[in-house]
Amino acid sequence: MSLFWSVIRQLAEIEAMATSKKVITREEWEKKLNDVKIQKEDMNKLVMNFLVTEGYVDAAEKFRMESGTEPDIDLATITDRMAVKKAVQSGNVEDAIEKVNDLNPEILDTNPQLFFHLQQQRLIELIRNGKVEEALEFAQEELAPRGEENQSFLEELERTVALLAFEDVKNSPVGDLLDISQRLKTASEVNAAILTSQSHEKDPKLPSLLRMLLWAQNQLDEKAVYPRITDLFTATLEDPSV
Amino acid sequence: MANIMNDSDQIQQEQDLVGSYFLELWRLKSNRTADSHEDEEPEDEEESVPTELDTLNSSGGFSIVLPDKLSVRYPSVNLHGHDVGVVQANCPAPVKRLFYYFEIYVKNAGAKGNIAIGFTTEGYNMRRQPGWEANSFGYHGDDGLLYRGQGKGETFGPTFSTGDTVGGGINYASQELFFTKNGQLVGTVEKDVKGRLYPTVAVHSQNEEVSVNFGKDPFLFDIKSYEAAQRANQQTYIERISIPQTASYGIVRSYLQHYGYEETLNVFDEASQTSVPPVTGFHDNGFNEHAMYALDHRKILRKLIMDGQIDDALRNLHELYPETVQDDTSAICFMLHCQKFIELVRVGRLEEAMDYGRARFEKFYSLKQYEDLVKDCAALLAYGEPSKSSVGYLLEESQREKVADAVNAMILSTNPDLKDRRNCLHSYLETLLRQLTACFLQKRLLNGNQGEAFHLQRVLLAKNN
Repeated sequence: MSLFWSVIRQLAEIEAMATSKKVITREEWEKKLNDVKIQKEDMNKLVMNFLVTEGYVDAAEKFRMESGTEPDIDLATITDRMAVKKAVQSGNVEDAIEKVNDLNPEILDTNPQLFFHLQQQRLIELIRNGKVEEALEFAQEELAPRGEENQSFLEELERTVALLAFEDVKNSPVGDLLDISQRLKTASEVNAAILTSQSHEKDPKLPSLLRMLLWAQNQLDEKAVYPRITDLFTATLEDPSV
Repeated sequence: MANIMNDSDQIQQEQDLVGSYFLELWRLKSNRTADSHEDEEPEDEEESVPTELDTLNSSGGFSIVLPDKLSVRYPSVNLHGHDVGVVQANCPAPVKRLFYYFEIYVKNAGAKGNIAIGFTTEGYNMRRQPGWEANSFGYHGDDGLLYRGQGKGETFGPTFSTGDTVGGGINYASQELFFTKNGQLVGTVEKDVKGRLYPTVAVHSQNEEVSVNFGKDPFLFDIKSYEAAQRANQQTYIERISIPQTASYGIVRSYLQHYGYEETLNVFDEASQTSVPPVTGFHDNGFNEHAMYALDHRKILRKLIMDGQIDDALRNLHELYPETVQDDTSAICFMLHCQKFIELVRVGRLEEAMDYGRARFEKFYSLKQYEDLVKDCAALLAYGEPSKSSVGYLLEESQREKVADAVNAMILSTNPDLKDRRNCLHSYLETLLRQLTACFLQKRLLNGNQGEAFHLQRVLLAKNN
């Protein structure tokens, strides 16, 4: 071991003693890691769950063939779900609403907030396309009555209609509504609602596990100094440091 | 220091590493099948759980544990503070879990209703109410106070009496004790005692009688909702942690690369680049470049093995990576020959299988490191329906996959640019999951073994994350 590293190691140990943390060397930690057995089958399921939930239908199909892992949902339903998502993402909200109702009319019936957000997105698209009169008519006839039922809907409606009041909309306080991120937000909301209606989780498990890893490391930091992983992309084990 | 190993020694050593790793994985399956039940609760969390009251150490004349060992009565007249009838469970509460809980039912509050429920440590003075002495906790029925370690109680909850059900629990995640009355949470108190805690009941006036439920009967308190709430609570902390948005994409992608799932990878790449918005940021930072090594060959070999075409796989390896199959007694050759034998059994060509086994197995049989696994393979011939036998696991897809994964790792190990040789054994995903599991185990170890381990299978089965 080089002098540099042994100095670093000593510093780490002194620090740890001061706070009475247990020091676990790289060698000890790697031994513990080697005792952990992760089943290949379970990792395959995790990857499949990600592909399916995120809507990578073709990749899921290929993965089924290449790995022999069965998806936990009928792959055909992914295609329908992605068509809805895509419609919202490209601004065809009317089309998306129709598709959702074809899939399962209960989704919008039982989810007034989602329905309002879709209608709001429709209004945004009308304004984006400069169809001012149509937009106003739509706002008054379709959205205003819903705003009466719900205070937060009303506020959102007012914010959206305000788009019409600015010359330079992009730099106005409500400019974010015209942003692509607004479409993505609505798209992901409808995506989640469809998954829920299919009694499937709306979020893939993998990101949640990655968060759990960072959380578990934070928890362990209070009691021990050990090799951590901070770069999720390279999964590199770092030497225990001060 | 001079490198005294020559190249071929080094290659040999890397191959041994890969080979022995996969043999170990195989052996795990072999042993596990011997114990059967693979779909049950995840491994080695077995701990003894209280099932009845302890009759040996209960406080002699002051209380009577009834023959069902689940009820206790105070038969005489109490005279002072040192004739309490205390009874502990027959073992301490288990700790390798999220929480522990038990309930008592007050059949008769007797003359004074001096009933208590709580937790005590080993060697507790069984003539003193739980809570009165150090390292003990008690929720008392007559005054509704909580006692912890001294004769003076703290304001806690309602009193309890005849007909009431009262519960006591330990939450290992929050390091708190909690008590319930008639199915409702009464309150919590910090668990500032390190040792193992025994569920404990006490009676202290004439005719008092309580029965204990250690979980044989359903609890009045809804422990399912309690557990869900605790988990949701933990989950909100976890969800607050931010991770790079593309981390999951990158990890899935490197997984596909690592195992040579090339077709999936191509379709996945195409989809993530054409999605709205395109997923970027993990292709161009030199991320896991080595995992592209020999992707095409690895894909082909995986497919051959998964299809049972072992001869073709061997031929391929001899042609493309002769160094991996040079030594006919290596682990990789052993696994492939076994697989060939297994494939013959699978299609019912038993005579051929026998001939193949005779020709190939002899040299492996004399090598200690393969002995048990050769026996497993040979045993396939003994059964009319081998797939239902104790070695039936050999005929499962997962066995093919193991061989395919071993060959895949073996090819990865021939990459001259590979920096850390162990990288050919584990995908990044696996490395991260191992780290996650190890952190949970280590935290528990440093916490007196209290709390849950991490089980990927439990996460996979859970419907809500």
